[in-house]
Amino acid sequence: MASDQDLVVETVRDILSAHEPFALTADTAWDAGLWADLAEAGLTGVGLPEEAGGSGGELADAVAVVRTLAAGAGAVPVAEQLLAAGPALLAAGLDLPDPAEPLTLAVAGAVTAEPVDDGDGPGRWQLTGTATDVAWAGVARHVAVLAAAPEGIEGAVLALVDAEGLATSDARNLAGEPRGSLVLGGAPAAGALLTPARTGEVRARFALTRAVQLAAALERVLAWTVQYAGERHQFGRPLGRFQAVQMELAEMAGEVTAVTALTDAAVQALDRGDDVVLAAAAAKVRAGAAVEVVARLAHQVHGAIGFTHEHKLHHLTRRLWSWRDEAGSELTWSQVLGVGLLARGGDDLWPALTRVV
Amino acid sequence: MSSPLTLAPAPPSQAAEEVRTQVREFLAEELAAGTFTTHVDTWLSGVDPEFSRKLGRRGWLGMTWPKQYGGHERSAMERYAVTEELLAAGAPVAAHWIADRQSGPNLLRYGTEEQRQEILPRIAAGECYFVIGMSEPDSGSDLASIRTRAARNGDGDWVVNGAKVWTSNAHFSHYGIVLVRTSPADPANRHAGLSQLLVDLSLPGITINPIRILDGGHHFNEVVFEDVVVPGDMLLGEEGAGWHQVTAELAFERSGPERFLSTYPLLAEFARRACDTGDAAQLGALGRLSARLLALRQLSLRIAAALDRGELPDIPAALVKDVGTTFEADVVDEIRRVVEVTPSLDSPDPLGRALAEAQLHAPGYTLRGGTNEILRGIVARGLGLR
Repeated sequence: MASDQDLVVETVRDILSAHEPFALTADTAWDAGLWADLAEAGLTGVGLPEEAGGSGGELADAVAVVRTLAAGAGAVPVAEQLLAAGPALLAAGLDLPDPAEPLTLAVAGAVTAEPVDDGDGPGRWQLTGTATDVAWAGVARHVAVLAAAPEGIEGAVLALVDAEGLATSDARNLAGEPRGSLVLGGAPAAGALLTPARTGEVRARFALTRAVQLAAALERVLAWTVQYAGERHQFGRPLGRFQAVQMELAEMAGEVTAVTALTDAAVQALDRGDDVVLAAAAAKVRAGAAVEVVARLAHQVHGAIGFTHEHKLHHLTRRLWSWRDEAGSELTWSQVLGVGLLARGGDDLWPALTRVV
Repeated sequence: MSSPLTLAPAPPSQAAEEVRTQVREFLAEELAAGTFTTHVDTWLSGVDPEFSRKLGRRGWLGMTWPKQYGGHERSAMERYAVTEELLAAGAPVAAHWIADRQSGPNLLRYGTEEQRQEILPRIAAGECYFVIGMSEPDSGSDLASIRTRAARNGDGDWVVNGAKVWTSNAHFSHYGIVLVRTSPADPANRHAGLSQLLVDLSLPGITINPIRILDGGHHFNEVVFEDVVVPGDMLLGEEGAGWHQVTAELAFERSGPERFLSTYPLLAEFARRACDTGDAAQLGALGRLSARLLALRQLSLRIAAALDRGELPDIPAALVKDVGTTFEADVVDEIRRVVEVTPSLDSPDPLGRALAEAQLHAPGYTLRGGTNEILRGIVARGLGLR
């Protein structure tokens, strides 16, 4: 990252290092202590404007926070709050909850929204149905729910739901992060109707959020693997001296570097205010594809020790295997990208590609 | 990640976007006029000196060089946009490609004032073509083992004996920059004793024999040197510094968009098919391939920006070439998984023809300019492993 973000990164690293790493267990759904310290330092509001209750700062600062936490396997909903749900609420003209209270985003096509007059003015919606695979369900105090619009209306409704007291199922992703369901029983909530284009932007920002996390975790997995290959000796020399291992590490480096370059470019496009749906789609697809290679080779180089619960490697590889399928898999986003690139016809691929980022 | 592999993001360049638009308009006019037809891998096989001269007249060759040598003092980012547009259109750029890409910059760096004044303006005009004289029959990836030698005679000229192979387009090119051994091999320092000579390919004693590739095309040659007398002042750079100079040259050779766009015309043809059919699997494949291509563009742009900063990013260039050439070969396989199409150079279906061209050229992508195994070795060095 650019040097402007060095201080942010250093602060997050300091806080991370003051906590026991890899906090998730069968009994522990998140790292409440880490969250409390991050919130105390104002880091759970970075990149969100001060006038909306955030801590201010640039998008690049928020990305730096998210990257550092992703690489450190921090078990907190900061990525969802800073890069996905928070900006989505603000873009929809809704209020941001207190950044000290965790906020997440639920893309919930099975939840329907109907306008309701509960005497609390316009912009009130009644949400009914079950939101599945909700990141940090049961942990997040607030949920920005992207629900289906009333029948006959295009687009979606984004509503801010207080999660206190909602029925939650206790499902986890491969890394043990909460991904349960939330049952929405029709309590009125503040919301806004989004056009299909704005709906697409919310989804794309969520995908880009996961791509940013993937990029950071991929970089860290490469760094761990290079380090291990330098330390582990077999046949009287470090693993990294074997050409066969060098080929694997170089392949990993190629993947990681490609993901970082594209993800950085997509973030910059977002910062410029460009339409980033296709850039986010490309970043998510590219990052997801890299996971296959990088996680496989990282485990191969680490050997059996990396396959144990005791070793740290799985804390990131399990996240990689989960994040690549969250916020839309490569299947979803590759088709969005393919269709989007052909929006002006089959002869327009090259101009379309050069417009993406 | 902080390592020799990472480069800073490229800043946006308005000038690059302006020249991109100009090149795109020019190419649309040329295609409409039928002066060329789109093919795969045209930076190797699309030879059209008249087209090269047209690019020269428009100022799109020697773009980054000083004006005093016929250049245009534009940025590497602008040159990147021009080369990328030419490749995407499958335009016939092979005649001048090597001279513009690496021989010119090499002369600019190491040539004598006389050589620069005489040759560079002709390259920039699209009139003077170069070959790379590195590989030999017994020296492929192990470049330091070359045996072509040059020895000074009594007049101070160089007498060259040996042979170079895979010499693209030697049969119509004017000069070669030839890596030769100028002092005996030293087992303790294999990279010592090598030098680069600027060789006029019309000199007596040079024999050029064609080597045909899989589709029957004649692009490669064997170039044999038998007591070829090269004037003494044609030493390029320093005697004995050939290895260092070659390394610098390879940064230019390896980093450009031709390392991932060789099969782009096939991808473009596939996009037309996917648009017609609306098939979900085809659209998905187009998306997956496009995501890889978009990442490669960003990597290559970062290298162009690094060149503009005066850096010589040889390790990132090796990485981009490894990832890029893997991609351009994969384009073939990804497409044939989702389209029912028979590859044939005689196919009435343009997709079948493009697929055939790309398939028959495919083994070369990950070999030329340094095999991917060699490149990964360089990347491993960048990772601190060797």
